[in-house]
Amino acid sequence: MFSYVLRRLLLGALTVVGVSIVVFVLMRVLPGDPLVAIFGPEGFTKLSEAERAHYMAELGLSDPLWLQYASWVQEIARGNFGHSFFRSESVAEMILRRGPLTAQIAFLSVALSWIVGIPVAIISALRPNSLGDNVARFVSILFLAVPGFWLGMLIVLTLLFAFGYRAPLTGASLLSDPWTTLQMIVGPAAVLGFGQAAYIARMARSSMLEVVREDYVRTARAKGLPNRLVIALHALPNALLPVITLSGVLLGFVLAGSIPVERAFGTPGLGNAMFTAVSERDVFVMQNLVFLYAVVFVLLNLLVDIIIAWLDPRIRLR
Amino acid sequence: MTVTSPELESSAPRPQAASGSLRPAAGWSRAARALRIFVRRSPMSALWGLVAVAVIAIAIAAPAIAPYDPLKSNFRVMTKPPSIEHSFGTDQIGRDTLSRVVWGSRASLMVAFGAVLLGTTLGALWGLACGFFGGRFDIASQRAIEFMQSFPDLVLAMAIAMALGAGTGTVIVAIAITRIPFGGRVIRAVVLSLKEMPFVEAARGLGASNRRLMFRHILPQCVAPFLILATTHLGVSIIIEASLGFLGVGIPPPTPTWGNMLADALNSGLVPPWWLVLFPGVAITVTVLAFNLLGDGIRDLLDPRLRGAV
Repeated sequence: MFSYVLRRLLLGALTVVGVSIVVFVLMRVLPGDPLVAIFGPEGFTKLSEAERAHYMAELGLSDPLWLQYASWVQEIARGNFGHSFFRSESVAEMILRRGPLTAQIAFLSVALSWIVGIPVAIISALRPNSLGDNVARFVSILFLAVPGFWLGMLIVLTLLFAFGYRAPLTGASLLSDPWTTLQMIVGPAAVLGFGQAAYIARMARSSMLEVVREDYVRTARAKGLPNRLVIALHALPNALLPVITLSGVLLGFVLAGSIPVERAFGTPGLGNAMFTAVSERDVFVMQNLVFLYAVVFVLLNLLVDIIIAWLDPRIRLR
Repeated sequence: MTVTSPELESSAPRPQAASGSLRPAAGWSRAARALRIFVRRSPMSALWGLVAVAVIAIAIAAPAIAPYDPLKSNFRVMTKPPSIEHSFGTDQIGRDTLSRVVWGSRASLMVAFGAVLLGTTLGALWGLACGFFGGRFDIASQRAIEFMQSFPDLVLAMAIAMALGAGTGTVIVAIAITRIPFGGRVIRAVVLSLKEMPFVEAARGLGASNRRLMFRHILPQCVAPFLILATTHLGVSIIIEASLGFLGVGIPPPTPTWGNMLADALNSGLVPPWWLVLFPGVAITVTVLAFNLLGDGIRDLLDPRLRGAV
């Protein structure tokens, strides 16, 4: 187990380095002058040659690329994520302020996806091709097809028209004002959660259908265990392994999916910050946020791999 | 070269499919038979397949179908709810929503088909090579694919689309790159199991070259999994395209795309008019649903073992 974890950690570290290079290169080949983004096209033309060079040097953009990369990595290692072109707040402060909201949305949505997806899958798998199974499968296929951000817009509109209700747009932390926070995260979390529930239900259903054919399930039935217990104690735990892996992958996609969904709800989380940075072409903020998303994604997958190895000895011995 | 393994019998096309000397007539009647079986076996998927065909037809015939010019604004009918003249209403600058939704199907399908043809195919060929040659090439490729998968696909597509600058081609490339790993992984796994099949060994024993083995014997067996993968990823690509448009890094306005329309609706003020939100979203949902269910049907037809699986 230890050597497995070590190997995965090393591989993860290597991936993070690779990811940082990819992000850096992508953000440096961005078309357009960053000064145009800062000063606007008109302000840019008013700048003299010397002023432009001065600003570029101040931003560190006139250094050779490898030096820019090295100083970026160095700054990140110090926990310094740089500044936005447009706001006084540093990127690190922004992440700390907005990150928790997005993290809460992500975790609540995962919880919802399990609460909805697993029971549906069990019902489906126990009576395959029954009416309930077919309805469940169609609904899950439908949810795979509905774009989350559109569903979000519909929910916001419906609540507004029907009840004149709009979720608060600025909020306090979970600790100081849980009620406001909950109102802010429940919409995005529900939309993202149902989207995942569709995947979870499909995966859990097929994995359950496979597991109930195993010898140990037959043995458990043969020794007279009630069906409920056979499912709960023998089938379900084994059927859940691939679901846990999938859930980890989906959690990463939720982080990405939260960008348009937060935009649709107007939730002031990281996703909305990413949207703002993208529409303002705020290179440094984008660079650090894209890197952050990728690192979190890598770490989540690493965590899931380790959890799975811990739960399933067959994997760590391979 | 008959496939004898029970587990592949179902997914493999009939052996004749591999020998390219089919007369076209025989090909057509075979296609008609496959279609009949498809309709009988999964009527639901066939029905949605019809919807998919209809959406494709709408996209091709958009100029003939759309009642108005999707780009032309009419300042006398700004932000009007659905009426007889404008059945889907009009937007803030008086453009006809129905026409824009119809034209939007073009952008959406063009991007989705482009991305899948480019990305999934490239990935599949890469996977074919990985599975076939194995060794260092395979190990290096798997690392590279892992790198690509260490970004959530929307974030990667956003970053690439921005880096390359706005445009239809850019969006296609951006989404295609996120599709490569999927094609690579799935086809590699298929090839790895095919490689051990007796018919490959037999062909090798008869002195077939590597190239012949790969393209004449293994590639045809990958067609079924590839088709299944491609149809599924059409749906995913449509959603990513819409998300990119919604976030303002897709095909630049004023080109009508479903994502752009939803972004416009949201930017129009505090409360977006319902008809500007409803119709583009329904278009996305119906299109994606049609391709997904068609994909399910194709999968059931080609590979009954996977029925109901992800």
